[in-house]
Amino acid sequence: MTLNGAIAVAFIMIALAIAGPGPRGFAVLLVLAAGFAIVEVRGATWTALRRAAVVVVPLAAFMGFIWVGIVGRAPAEIAADVPGTRAAALIHVLSICLRLFFVVTVIQLAVLRFAHLTPLQFIRALALPVTAKRLLVLTLSLIETLRHAIDRAHIALIAAGTLTRRFSSRNVIHSWRLVQTVWLSAVTIALGRMRDKWPIENTLNLLERAVEGGNEKIFAGDDKIWLPVSLGAAVVILVADVFPGPS
Amino acid sequence: MARRELFSGLNFSGRSAAMLALLRDGSFARECFYIGPYAEAALSGLSATIADEIEIYRAKPASLGHTAFAPIDFAPLARREPQTLSGGEQVLLALHCFSLSSYAALGIDTALEQLDRANRDAALDYLDPRKDFAGNVALIDNRLPPPQVGWHTIDLPAGATDLDCDPRRVVADLARQIAPAIAVSDLGFRYARGRQIFQDVSLSLEGGNAYRLAGPNGAGKTTLLKLLVGVIAPSGGKLTLGGARYWPWRHGNRAIALATQNPDHQWCGATLADDLARRRSAFARHARVGSLAKGRLAKLAQLLGAPSLDAHLYELPLAARKRLSWLWPLAGALPWVMLDEPSIGQDVNTRSRLAAAIVRLTALGYGVLFVTHDDDFADRIPHRVLAIGDATIRMN
Amino acid sequence: MFTTPRLVVIALGAALNFSIGSIVYLVKLPIYLDSIGTILVALLLAPDRKAAFFCAWAAAWAGTAVSALVNPFLPWFAASDVAVAAISALVTIRATDIFRARPLRPVPFVAAVLVCGAITGVVAAIVSAPVVAYVFGGVTGSGSAFVVAFFLKTGEQLMNAVLLSGLAADPVDKVLQVLLAALLYRATPGELITVLRKA
Repeated sequence: MTLNGAIAVAFIMIALAIAGPGPRGFAVLLVLAAGFAIVEVRGATWTALRRAAVVVVPLAAFMGFIWVGIVGRAPAEIAADVPGTRAAALIHVLSICLRLFFVVTVIQLAVLRFAHLTPLQFIRALALPVTAKRLLVLTLSLIETLRHAIDRAHIALIAAGTLTRRFSSRNVIHSWRLVQTVWLSAVTIALGRMRDKWPIENTLNLLERAVEGGNEKIFAGDDKIWLPVSLGAAVVILVADVFPGPS
Repeated sequence: MARRELFSGLNFSGRSAAMLALLRDGSFARECFYIGPYAEAALSGLSATIADEIEIYRAKPASLGHTAFAPIDFAPLARREPQTLSGGEQVLLALHCFSLSSYAALGIDTALEQLDRANRDAALDYLDPRKDFAGNVALIDNRLPPPQVGWHTIDLPAGATDLDCDPRRVVADLARQIAPAIAVSDLGFRYARGRQIFQDVSLSLEGGNAYRLAGPNGAGKTTLLKLLVGVIAPSGGKLTLGGARYWPWRHGNRAIALATQNPDHQWCGATLADDLARRRSAFARHARVGSLAKGRLAKLAQLLGAPSLDAHLYELPLAARKRLSWLWPLAGALPWVMLDEPSIGQDVNTRSRLAAAIVRLTALGYGVLFVTHDDDFADRIPHRVLAIGDATIRMN
Repeated sequence: MFTTPRLVVIALGAALNFSIGSIVYLVKLPIYLDSIGTILVALLLAPDRKAAFFCAWAAAWAGTAVSALVNPFLPWFAASDVAVAAISALVTIRATDIFRARPLRPVPFVAAVLVCGAITGVVAAIVSAPVVAYVFGGVTGSGSAFVVAFFLKTGEQLMNAVLLSGLAADPVDKVLQVLLAALLYRATPGELITVLRKA
């Protein structure tokens, strides 16, 4: 399976989840996702589920506190101007969170399928214009530059008494200086590269070669199975649940 | 015959510009690999992992007439971000990438100064014209005095003196200081989900002395610094300052003035005036800092080559920014001074003056901690070595 | 359009959007500022509004693309990114002379920040409301959920409650982001701006 195929299948599944299928449609969707996880991702599926839980469970708890604890009724009940129940609010929260959990899991599955790739290999495999690939490569590199700068500048600004380790009024007033220092140090590095290293080496030419040619065909291999299966499931779900027609 | 061009001269004599002009000269090379002087200048800026950095430069198809340069085995580090390597390791990575590439020429602007003795010797040996690599090399290195066998020296006369720098004059009129001893006992620290960095470490650092922090990358030098200035709290043990308990992670740093390896990481403002105003304000309660009037700081800044306090720091040359990063520590604001690779990129005169300034500081009673790979620079400063590694710190 | 200097600035803006969360975490502030890079890129491309819009949008896109693993909810707000980029390129960019004036003129500076931030915030609130209401059921995990809850308790429909909450919170958030972007723009070395203008 190609990376583009995995992303396309994930996109189809996410779009279907957001379309709001009914119980039957969601069951079909779950079977599709489970099949993808078992066949393509295998053991790493547990990692995907764990990561999704880390992201969604705290949000679910917060949502529950807001909807069940404070509001006490579901949106449909508010719209119908009826007193409503906390149970209905809880069902509302669970349905939203289940959908979000599914979406996050699917994203993780698609990426974990290709966890063996380095960032450069990952970007090379994407069906994107070369300019977009260059941009992603530059962004990933600069993120690391900024991370390193944040760590060093944070030490220096605490040493200089400008920031404190804990929350403080000084941090409220002066944390922008940390942002400024990090930004300016990164700009300085970038200017140096654009002025000297890249023109002398023609480094960007190397990058072009490194990100091009990763995908002669956008889809290949097992994509030819998964894409029709996903699209077929989409038709079933849309016809059966989203647009069921007259009963 | 392979060319080996060594550019010699003082800071601001135009060495960097002259070398860049040579590298752009088609007669020297069609394309050159370049390792510049600024932070992360060794890296391509196009990779998020070491594996990708090597991949970008690797010649395709592999057709090298010379052996690869690999003083470090980068294979186990493949998934690490290049920026997490030390400055010296980044330079070694760059040289490794160069040796795998199809570039036939190389330019290095002071980057080899970040290497320790063994790796420096290995790099210079690799570039020796009598050895394997047959391409052209241009080099600026303040620690390599001309003449050098096999190298053609291009000597540049001293440039403008308006950025002249003498750190000795900055400390000349400093008042005596009795820097309180910094002592740690049973100090322990572990990062969450990480290895134990320090375990049951006890030592005492006395004012009036200089200490050189030594240890491999990841040993704990930065962690020690973070503990001393209060960025992190130890998991065990205690810290005292002048015999009294000291909790910089709770109450803030009031002992150490720091100059970072990359000077651009330490500014508290876009101009020197902003930066110094911020520092003076933060330490206003300290009597000694209170005596650092704005006018006096401006004068000291001039002695380090600052054209004006209102000049935009990031628009000054790197060597000038590096010198100005010493201002706060050398101004005597705080009793202890920490300098991280202070001599990188500085010419022989400035390095010797800085070393003399540090010696003067210790003679006045200040405490000094420094990190350097420049053994010649360190040898000019009577010091003790703090060897950091294996979760402990040993004083030699 | 996307020359090398512009690509670098876009990547810087995207990296800043991504990294700002780390800074907020380190200084322990209860806020989240995820569009400073987008706004800053637009300012840096002044006075070319078309370039400012496309580059700012590209910065938002790149930042979201690399963030998707860490924050999988960000891609849902792609329309907000377009809105912020558009307002930055059409409105905020007009204040670049004020932002960079030396010496600083406090009153025009503050007024420009307030106006640009408020407009950006209002538009962002309107554009993001449907996503918050439909995809997240009104609650995204930020403190504005309490404002949503308040309006829901008073009987407002979900979409209205989300919109009103957004109109209350987003302008404040965007004023802060425009302020930070303006300060960073002010401090950026002239060499970078010159290089971008030559491109």
